[in-house]
Formats: sequence, C-alpha cells, structure tokens
Amino acid sequence: MNMLDRRIRFTTSFTGLVFSLFMASGLHAQETSDARQILEQVEDNQRAISDAAFNRIQLSSCRFGLQNNQITCAERARVKALESVSINTGPTKRDTRAISIVLEPAAERGIGMLSYTYDDPTQDNETWLYLSALGQVKRIASGNSDDDSEAASLFGSEFTTEDQDTGKLQDYTINMMGEGTESGRDVWLIETIPNEKRARASRYARTVQYVDKERLVVLRADMYDRSGREIKRLMASRIEQINGVWTPRSLTMMNLVANRLSNMAILEINTGVTIPENFLTPRTLTDVAFREAELQNIRSQVD
Amino acid sequence: MENRLLVLSRLFAAAPALAVRYRAIILLTLIMISVLLAWGVATRTRIDMSVDSFLDQSDPAITALNNFRTQFGSDDSLFLVYEARDGDVFSARSLKAVQALTEKLRDWRSLDASRYEADLSELDIIRRVQSITTLRVQRVDGDTLRSERLVPEAIPDNAAGLAAIRERAMAEDDYKLAFYSADGRFGALLIQTTFGAQPVDSYVPAVNAENISLGDAFSDFGSFDDTGSFELSFDESATVDEINFDVVDMGEYKSFYSAVSAVYADHESELTFYPAGNPSLMSWVFDVLQDMLWLAAGMIAIFVFLLRTLFRSFSAVVWSMVTILLSLLWSWGLMVWFGATLSTMVTLTVMLVFATGIAGCVHVMSAYFVFRQQSLDHETALSRSYEKTGLAIMVTSITTMAGVLSLAGTDLIPIQVFGVMSALGVFLAFVFTVVLLPILLSIWHPSAAAANSESKGLALMQRWQHLPLSVQITLMLIVTALMMWAVGVTVGLYLALIGLVTLGVLRWQNEILAACPGLVARRPWTILSVFAAIFAASVYGTSQVRIDSNVAELARADSAPRIAYNMVDEHMAGAQTIAVMIDTGISDGLMEPALLRAIETLQEHVIARYDEEVSRTYSLANIVKDTYRVMNQDNPAFYRIPDDAVTISQLLYLFNSANPEERRSLVSDDFSRSHITINAYNAGSYQYTRFFEELDQEIVSLFDPLKAQFPDLQVTVTGSVPLMMRAMDEIAQSQYSSFLIALSVISVIMIITLGSVQAGLISVIPNLIPALMTFGLMGLLGITLDTDTLLIAPVIIGVAVDDTIHFMTSYRLELIKTRDMKQALHNTLRDVGRAVMFTTMILGLGFAILGFSEYLGIAKIGIFGGLAIFMALLCDLLLLPALIMKLQPRFGLKGPIVGFGDTGRLVHEHA
Repeated sequence: MNMLDRRIRFTTSFTGLVFSLFMASGLHAQETSDARQILEQVEDNQRAISDAAFNRIQLSSCRFGLQNNQITCAERARVKALESVSINTGPTKRDTRAISIVLEPAAERGIGMLSYTYDDPTQDNETWLYLSALGQVKRIASGNSDDDSEAASLFGSEFTTEDQDTGKLQDYTINMMGEGTESGRDVWLIETIPNEKRARASRYARTVQYVDKERLVVLRADMYDRSGREIKRLMASRIEQINGVWTPRSLTMMNLVANRLSNMAILEINTGVTIPENFLTPRTLTDVAFREAELQNIRSQVD
Repeated sequence: MENRLLVLSRLFAAAPALAVRYRAIILLTLIMISVLLAWGVATRTRIDMSVDSFLDQSDPAITALNNFRTQFGSDDSLFLVYEARDGDVFSARSLKAVQALTEKLRDWRSLDASRYEADLSELDIIRRVQSITTLRVQRVDGDTLRSERLVPEAIPDNAAGLAAIRERAMAEDDYKLAFYSADGRFGALLIQTTFGAQPVDSYVPAVNAENISLGDAFSDFGSFDDTGSFELSFDESATVDEINFDVVDMGEYKSFYSAVSAVYADHESELTFYPAGNPSLMSWVFDVLQDMLWLAAGMIAIFVFLLRTLFRSFSAVVWSMVTILLSLLWSWGLMVWFGATLSTMVTLTVMLVFATGIAGCVHVMSAYFVFRQQSLDHETALSRSYEKTGLAIMVTSITTMAGVLSLAGTDLIPIQVFGVMSALGVFLAFVFTVVLLPILLSIWHPSAAAANSESKGLALMQRWQHLPLSVQITLMLIVTALMMWAVGVTVGLYLALIGLVTLGVLRWQNEILAACPGLVARRPWTILSVFAAIFAASVYGTSQVRIDSNVAELARADSAPRIAYNMVDEHMAGAQTIAVMIDTGISDGLMEPALLRAIETLQEHVIARYDEEVSRTYSLANIVKDTYRVMNQDNPAFYRIPDDAVTISQLLYLFNSANPEERRSLVSDDFSRSHITINAYNAGSYQYTRFFEELDQEIVSLFDPLKAQFPDLQVTVTGSVPLMMRAMDEIAQSQYSSFLIALSVISVIMIITLGSVQAGLISVIPNLIPALMTFGLMGLLGITLDTDTLLIAPVIIGVAVDDTIHFMTSYRLELIKTRDMKQALHNTLRDVGRAVMFTTMILGLGFAILGFSEYLGIAKIGIFGGLAIFMALLCDLLLLPALIMKLQPRFGLKGPIVGFGDTGRLVHEHA
C-alpha cells in the first residue's frame, strides 16, 4: 500500500524556514506583549532579511539519546551539505525564488531544486527538480491549493515544508500563554492554533513557541498533534547577531515519536548579495558551467 | 500404602468437623480474599486473542515482528471493503459516497457527535485513511511531472468523465485489487491505525526531564570556509528513549470499530460494507464473548436444574455451585492479579473446573444422601461421605492438575496461562469442597425429611406415567413449543431434549444400572470387540486429522467476518499480509542494484509460483522502477532497476522528499533495512506452512550469493501470518508431548492409588478412548484441529479420569469388603454408577450448549467435549466391567477372592 498516495512536492527555500520561525528583529520586547503583534513583526522582518540571500547549510540526521543530561546523536549522523540562493520578487516583494544545490553526499551531488513561491493563494507554486545522475530536469506540478498533501520532508530530514510555511498568520489563533525561561533567558510562551482549513493540511494541532524577550528569537517550539501529544520539538542554539539581527545558526528538530533528530547548521549566512535574476531559472540546474560561473560570482561577494 | 491411604481417608472424615469448628474465621478470611479477587477480576481482566500474544516477548518470531513495528509502524489496519449498490464503484453516486465517507473518517472531529450513537473520539486511533478518492497518479506531461488525483475533487456527473476515471484506474496495477476490484463492483477503504504502536499513557519523553539541554556539538562548528562540512559527534552509549507500546485490549478494537461502523452507516444506502482486518474481527470476537456469558449462564442453569432434580434439595445445589464458582473466581482473580492476560481458552478452564467440581460435589452429596437415608444425622453423614469419597476426589484433582500442568511447559503464553489457571481452579475446587462445603452445609442443609422422602421428582414421574399418552404428548409439545418460542428453534429443541433425557434417566436409572452387569456378563467379548472397533476407527480417524488454523473459519459460514473475508479473497487482494524483512547490515545497502534485483526477482517468483496464495507484492524495488520510468518520459523500457547505485540513490532521494512518511514506512532512515509486503488470500495454516517452507528456500537461493557483498545480510519472513504458523506448530508439538506426559503421570497415580500395576493400566484404557474418539471423529468428519480444539484433550482426559478413578477406587473397596469380584462389581455399578451417570448427564448436556456459540472454536469444544463425556460414561459402565471380568485384577489383595467364573470358584493369587 506504500505508493498509494504518492505525490511529488518539493521545496527549496531554507531561508523561509530559518526566518519564519526563529528570527525576529527591530522590535523591542518592551513595546508590546501582544502575541500576534510579535509574530507579525517577525514575519515582516523576515521578508526584509531573506532577500538576496546566499547560505551554506549542513543538515545532519541521526537517532538521538541522552548522555549526561545532554541530547546527543546515538549513531553517526547522515550528512547533507547544500548551497542555497534566494531572492524576493513580485510587486510587493512577497514572492520568493530560491535554488538549492546538494554538495554532499557524493551520490546526491549536483541534485538541484528551484522553486517559485507566490504569495497569491490562487497562483500555484512552481518547482523544478534536477537529478544529476539522470541529467534530467522536471517541473513538478503540485499546487498549494491542493489541500490534503502531506508535508514533504526537506532533503530527507525531520524538517518539513510545513515548518517553513510563512505569511499565513491570519489562519491561526494566537494566544499569549505567559512568561518563562528557556536556556536561561526570559521568554514569552506563544501558542498558535491553526483554523479549520489550515488544520486539515497540518500535522500540528497546536504549537507553543518560546520567544526570547530581549533578542526576539524563537528559542524553542513544541508541536502537538490532534491527540494533544507532543510529536516534535525544535531547539535553536548558537544565536548570533548577523547584520544587526539576532539569528540562530543551529536549529535542531527532534522527532519525539521516532527518536530521531535533524540538525540544520547554517555554516554561512549572507544577505544583501547581488544575484542576477536569470540565475534563478531552470538553466542553472542543468548547465553546470553556467551555474559554477554564477556561483563563483556570488561567492566572491561574500568571501 | 494401604494403611497410608486409610489414614488419608480418616483425615477426610475428620475434615468437616474441623472446618465447621473454625468456620467464623475461615468464612471471614474467604470473604475478604474473595472480595479482593473479585475486584481484580472486574478491573484487571484483559483478554487478548491476537497472535502475537501467543509467544513470549523474547521469542525470535516476536522479536522480528517488534523490530518490524518499531521500524515501520503498526500493521493493524481496517480494510473496509464495499460493494456499490448500483453495481459500479465508478458511478457518480458511489464515488461521492466514498469521498464523503473518507472525508468524515479523516476529519471526524468536525462531525456532529450528537448524530452518532458511538463515541467518535475512538477514531483518534486512525493514522491514515485511503480510498479511491485519495489516490494519486504520477504522470509525465512533456517536461512536467504531475501527481494528479485519480478521482478529481469535483466528481463529474457525465458518463464520459466517469468512464475516463474508470479507464485510468484500471491502468494502475498498483491500485487495482487494493482499492477496487477488476470488475469495478467492489472497492475498499484502507483505514490504518496506531493499534499496538501507541505509547503507554504514562510515557513521558526523556527529553522532558529537568536540566536536559542540547549537546554542545550542535553549536560547535566552524564556518564553511574553514572546514567545509563538519561531522556531528556521536555517542553510541547514549540512552535512546525506549517507548513502551500499549497492549491492545479487545474492548478497544470493539469501541473503535463501533465508531467506524456508526460513521459508515451514513452511506449504507449507496454501499454495502464488508469490514475485514484485525479490528473488525476482534470486535466480532468481543461481541461473541459477550454472548458467551449468556451461554455460560445457560450452562449453569442446566447444571442447577439437573443437580436439583438429582439432589432434590436446593441447599445441596446452591452450595455446590457456590463452591465451584468461588474456585473459578479465585483462580481467575489470582491470575489477573499476577498480571496474566487471558484468552478464549478461559472457556476450557471454566469447563474443566466445573467438570471436576461437579463430579466432586455429586459424589460427596450422593454419598451424603445415602447415609442420611440410613438415618444418620447431618454431621455423621457428612463425615462418612468425606471418608468414602475424599480420597477419590483428591486423586482426581491431582490427575487433572497433572494433565493441565503438563501444558505449562510450552512456549506459548496463553497455553501456559490456561495450564496454570486450570490447575489452580481444580486445586481450589478440591480445597473448597473439603473445607468450605461442610461449613456452608452447616449453615443450611437438607432436612432429614427431604433426604429421606421419596424423590419428589420420582413422585412426579409416577403421576406423569399415569397420564394418558395423548395428554403426555400434548403437554410435551406445548412445553417444547414454548421453549422454542422463548429461546429460538434449535436451542428450544435442545432444551426439550435435555428434559427428555432427564426424565428418561430418572425413570430408568435403576434399570439401566442393573442391566449393565448382566449385559457385560453375557456378552463380554462382544463389548470388548465393539470398543476395539471404536478404538481402531478412532486411531485411523486421528491419523487423518489435519492440524489447520484458519482465521476466518473461527466464525460460522453465515457470520459477518466470514462473509467479509470471502469477499476480500474473491474480489480484492486478500486481507492477510506477510512481510519479508531485509536487513543489509550496511548504511545505504538498499541502494545497491544487486540487492534490489534480488528483491525484484523474489517478488516475481512469488507471484508466478503462488497465484493461489498471493495476490500482489510490493517493495522498494517497485518505487525505484516506477520513479525511473516516470523520470524517463514514462518510457516502459525504464521500468527496471538502474545499473548504478548513484542513480538509485537519486531516485530514492526523490521519493524521500516527496513522501517522507511513506518512505519511513518502507525503508529505514539509513536505508539499511526494508521489507517486501506480500498480500495473501486467507488460507489455513496447513497450506501456508508449505508456502513458507518454499519461500524460505527461495530466499536462501536468491540472497545467499549476496553474502560476499553484504556479510551481515539477514532476510526473515515475519508478520502475523508466519507468527500464527509458528504458534500452531508449537501448540501441536506441546499438545502431543503433554498428552503423553499426562497419560504417564495419570497411569502412575492410578497404579499407586489402586495398588496394582495391572489395575492401573486397565483404568488407562477408558481414559484414552474418549479423547481418541474425539480426534478420530474430527478426522473422519474432516473437521480440522485448530488452536482451540487442540486443547480439548486435557479436558476430556480430566473428566474421563475422574469417573474412572471413582469407579476403580470404589470397586477396590468393595473387593476388600466382599472378596467377591462379581458382588464388588455389582455394588460399584449400583453406587458409583449412579453418581457417574448423573455427572455425565450434567456435564455432557451442560457443555453441549456451548455448541450454540457463534465462535466455532468454543462451539466445537462444547459439542466434542459433550460427546467425549458420554463416551467416557459408556467406557465406565460397559468397557471397564468387561475388562475387569476378563482380566480379573486383584488390586494387590492377598488371600482368596471369588472370581467371575462359576459361583464359588476361588481365584487364587497366582492363578
């Protein structure tokens, strides 16, 4: 019965994930304690920051356990390394174009994905996939409008497309649950509950976010299923100020059902890079020479 | 030995007075313990029928299945097959109904709960619902890869649109038979659950503890330029959270299935449903077990009615039943307090405890009434009756316990539980008969008048006999009609039969018992030849018995599960799944072309060779081939395993990104382990066993050549079907050895008790015949022995031995007293024969009512158990006397004894 509900859905935009959940800036905690306002501010800031970004990311996945009260991998992690480039487009700069290329492991080297995400809910997102071993690029047709799609895994990790959905705050009930401490810092506990329509496509019936009051970074998020059981937990660490914005460089998603985790280490994060519009086209996927030349340009800007 | 046995008899004689002296403290203690145990029975009883409850958690077969479940999740699904009422699952009406039902089951939280009688929150166990309306098909359209719904969300109303859907569906081999039949009349919803994979309520993830933090390694990395990628440190000694899964109770299946059926009832005007799979089957068994309570009540009512007719005293009946029911309560309570999970075999325990308990009480009370009729007072009569019967009751309890305890040596847990619980129940019945029954009788006992009066039953009988035949017939017909009206035709007829037998036995008991010695004396050889013939036929029949368990055949042919299983087998892919688990022992091992080709070949061979058993197979190889073809413009030439690991790796990458849940259910995260799913039709274990043997050979020949590349490669067949085969095999073997052990233990006890090897061996024969006859009859009638009926032997031997022991010990006592074999036999038949006849009637008729159970395992036990008990009676009344007459055992007695030959001729010690 395994292939029975197969569909293909991809995402390339890591920046979306990174910024939507875990970053907030330019807002001083003392100004407001209204939960929705805090999260809305996070989104606005994210858009400003995710534009023209060039990141190098490493995804490590493993079975986890505890050793001396510390969460650690209990086996050698499977590692994927990627380079990712994204820009914001569209009249209100609310659409995103992003490309990700796999560097490691060797067997997947050169696999690339290009995605166009539209803010307009009536316009289907577009994704192209390039499998280097087959030398083939395919446009993947599968719209956002399609309701019951399971959230797809990001590069086979515990992160899913659902974790990176942005701009949908109007679909959630947002509650300020109170205050507390997390990783030794004062936080707000903010609960988000999807409305009926959104809940149908979501594995999470409820999420509790721990937002650092001073730095406005989400330090932790607990995701609950419909039965009220916590199924996933996200932990942010190595929070650094980049271009004046507090950013977690390490995100760890724990799957509490399977006892597996994926760590996303942002080895490099660069914003405000000049990226030619034609780089974010299918040609980049197939034309290795073109891609390398353009990437070289981008790299030289940041190195 | 003789003296020691006499000492025991005297102890039994003293027991009633001793018990009565301390009755206050004994009663108080018993009541307190009983309340505690009853509380346990009410709150802690768990009945589990699933196959994995059969084997110990450390059994390799269970380990394999648990590994499977830990890796790939629960395999407990409800397969809801439906037939379109308009004959076409692709009609707009049928599709809309299926779409609505799928939506309701997926999104049950938004249903109006007040509209449904069942508790919809039970649907929380649903993990995934799939149906024809959720299926998607991958398609290549130029350079675009599409994943389209097989049935569009807006279902077309026009014939052309519907015909297109049908055509597309029929082209999808992976969906056909799983979600719709080839003729388009049947369809199915696959409702996957988390049964068996739900963490226990008390489970709290270890990461929730205080002071837990993320390891430093997760933050401790340099920049890209410094190091490129970094390797996350790991610690193999880290404690990985062990999640304990909840054991599923049958009641949970019942609640879940009730909720599902309440929802699908909304669509019964468009679709006819045939639910298959474990949840619906277990729910059905649960219902049947509830009905069993009524049958058990009926059985007890028959016991009470017959005991009342025999004893003519309510106190005797009530206290006997209290004694037996308390033994059951205690054994049940003790087992559940010790954490045992019960199975349907508890029925056998109930039967066995009733059998030995009733036999004990009947023998004690019969003796008691005889002594009361001799004008002895209550205390003396009771003391004398215990003196006379106590030893026999003790020996019968020991032999029965030995019989069932011999089963406790098996590896199968339900059988161990059955063995221990039955032995405990039999032991307690003995203890309570000796200790509690005298106390109860001291509170309320039959009056001297009642004990002495001519039987009311007999008086009634005499009045009945004076009635004209026409009135008798009319009265009988009226009573029968009334009973048939009250409880249904068959049960009514059966009850009428009980009445008739009782009347007959009561009326002619003396004649029957008196006729036996005469018949035996006149035709001993004829009797011996008839029994020899029965023995020979039974041996032949037994050799023909097929040991075969078939899940669907637990139910009657017209029952819902049986019909559903037939539907699934006939029109769909079958409801059984077998998994071939593949562990390459190497990360990314499943990306190697050689391994995937071996998997592919195994699937092809299985489909080609076993089309009677197997409908379809599915594995990672299918995914790779399908994706390869799709990525190559749907060119069928690419429907194959690629030649290099890198291509396979990238195709799997595609699959993994597209559908992580699905990928995780098919292959482990490090791509070292996967499984082949084989959908199989329902069949008996006999057929499956052959299939598995050949499958194992096939696996060896295909995968052994890969051992050079994968030194740790392991390929094992697992799933509930292979587990069932393993359990059946174990039952058959343990049954055979325990049968032999029980027989030898019983023989030794008989030899010791009867003081003679010859007499001991003689008494084994009438015990052997009823059990052999049961199996022989099953063999001749083509009824297969399954997990339930295999265990009938200890019950039969237990009951048969009881009567034989009472008979032989009594004969021996009479022989010591009269030193005349003929006289001793006559007296024994007169005294014990009556008790034996009544016990047989009570137990045989009581057990046979279980034959009305919807659950065939129990029905067969009831019918064959009843038959065997009547056979045991014939053995005791005819065969045993004939054997005694021909073999003339002396029971180790010295001195002259009058034999069976000419009157007065002495049979000498060494004659």
